[in-house]
Amino acid sequence: MTEKSSVSKTKGTPVVVDMAAPGAERIVGNPMLEVIATDITFGEGPVWDARNKQLFFTDICGDTIWKWKPGAGQEVVMRPSAHANGMALDLENRLVVAGWAGRTIFRFEKDGSIKTLASRYQGKKLNSPNDIVVRADGSLYFTDSPGGLVNVGMVGDDLQKYLDIQGVFRISPDGELSLTTADFFYPNGLCFSPDESLLYVNDSKEKLIRVYDMKPDGSVGPGRLFHRYTGTERGVPDGIKVDIEGNVYCTGPGGAIYIHDKNDGKILARLKMPGHPTNFGWGDDDWRTLYVTMLGSVVRLRLNIPGVPSR
Amino acid sequence: MTWAFDPVAGPYKGQTGGLAWDGTAMLFSAVQEDRVLRYNPATGKADEFRFYTGRTNGLAMAADGSIFGAQEGGRRVIRFMSDGSTAPTLDLLEGKHHNQPTDVIVDSKGRVWFSDPHSATPPYGPPIFPFLDHASILRLERNPKGAWDLKRITSDTKQPRALLLSADEKTLYVTDGDPDFDGPSKLRAYPVNSDGSVGSSKVLYAFPPGERGIEGMCLDSGGNIVACGGWKKNGPGPMVYVFSPSGTIIEKQPAPADLPMRCAFGDEGLSSLYLTTGEGYLYRAKAIGRSGLKR
Repeated sequence: MTEKSSVSKTKGTPVVVDMAAPGAERIVGNPMLEVIATDITFGEGPVWDARNKQLFFTDICGDTIWKWKPGAGQEVVMRPSAHANGMALDLENRLVVAGWAGRTIFRFEKDGSIKTLASRYQGKKLNSPNDIVVRADGSLYFTDSPGGLVNVGMVGDDLQKYLDIQGVFRISPDGELSLTTADFFYPNGLCFSPDESLLYVNDSKEKLIRVYDMKPDGSVGPGRLFHRYTGTERGVPDGIKVDIEGNVYCTGPGGAIYIHDKNDGKILARLKMPGHPTNFGWGDDDWRTLYVTMLGSVVRLRLNIPGVPSR
Repeated sequence: MTWAFDPVAGPYKGQTGGLAWDGTAMLFSAVQEDRVLRYNPATGKADEFRFYTGRTNGLAMAADGSIFGAQEGGRRVIRFMSDGSTAPTLDLLEGKHHNQPTDVIVDSKGRVWFSDPHSATPPYGPPIFPFLDHASILRLERNPKGAWDLKRITSDTKQPRALLLSADEKTLYVTDGDPDFDGPSKLRAYPVNSDGSVGSSKVLYAFPPGERGIEGMCLDSGGNIVACGGWKKNGPGPMVYVFSPSGTIIEKQPAPADLPMRCAFGDEGLSSLYLTTGEGYLYRAKAIGRSGLKR
């Protein structure tokens, strides 16, 4: 059923790097790829919990939130999980979840209970929250693409879309939901620049990344095209993250993670994954490990520039 | 007498598809627009019934007024509920995701029969789940706990498209075949056994090689099969046929546009025949000398 990784579980495999611009090796190095989890169908939502040195991730089709600890392996955190998708850690190190088929944003409380943070906009159910990011002021931003209302093997009990937008939303520190932008057909990954002055959002249908200037009140200015993917290779922008220098990493066509110049969006290099990468997150003590969720597995590789810590 | 088809709604992007008369208005799918519309003959207007329908094509009304839809893009049969929500049904046949439903009907017992062909258009989302190694008529029915069960009904179909039950529900008609895959369609008839299974099929009509065959069917008040199909590419062109229950063509009418998709009776007394087509209109022919079967 599952697209399996062709990579050996015990031994690292060199990552193929192509489309490299001059100087890309300083960022990329010579990474080896290691498989850390299999027996999942659709990996997503990787987030490194630095406090407890463990990785959280989701299996959307497997309807499970997992955690993985080096040396200890995989353990179920939540099942069923509303086919949860993207995840992040908030300022108090609580897991916040883009609830996809459950059509909510929810949070794991310290006592283990689940608190719904958002479920409706202007009285209408959200589409299917896809990915989520936390800003330093404690506000949450999430994308609300509609795939969790139709994709095979990932839907809930109400498949009706009610909103006529596919928004990027903000939940303020005091819990208020507001629309950040409705520019997108299928907003998916999102992240801030290291200083949080810029918001990057990609669109899986339009195959592009837009960038927005952040305003002091948490809203954004007009979007600018940062990069548009071309060519006929299979694959779409999905996960997106930045390193501490501001280089932008994004999944894209050809089963690869692309690294983009922060100034003009140009491709600096791409890391070819053995299969279909969906999302990734920085991890380990030095934040130089990239944990990549795939169809069928979770893998990791080491890069040269530390990523922006997930918390 | 030539039937006079008039366009009453459209054009929509791509084909128009499934039809269901809800007692007052005609529901129809604008498949590529991801919408279901509702044409009210009293006002002459087509309003949006649902959007983001996942390329829903075939439509069928249940006894409680909810509407089942064959969601080609989502590989499932969905149910448009009266409160505006949309419920999924069971989309696993013996644990495996089925193919891409294109037509759906509901019988008097509330069982939901649908055709589950392979499709040239891929479904939504990443290609994770393989398709079945067969393309069959499947049926959803409630088990004693009230949950859906899904059963395979036919074992000899190659690419079933339209399906229909006779007035007494003792015969299942299926048009089987898709020129994109395995050649022209055949009109098959299956005896429906008392336990709900079907017996061996009889080919009532086989279209010559190269022809498109039938894409949509409905029943007239005399129990005859009104079927639309054909194309301009070859053969007799886009047509509406009327078959007797034994498979004899008793009437042929030219369709008003290429690639007729589905047909259904509507209006007061089910006196008009509605037709959807490849170029995206909803057509209606009044006073054709036939009316629809009231179930």
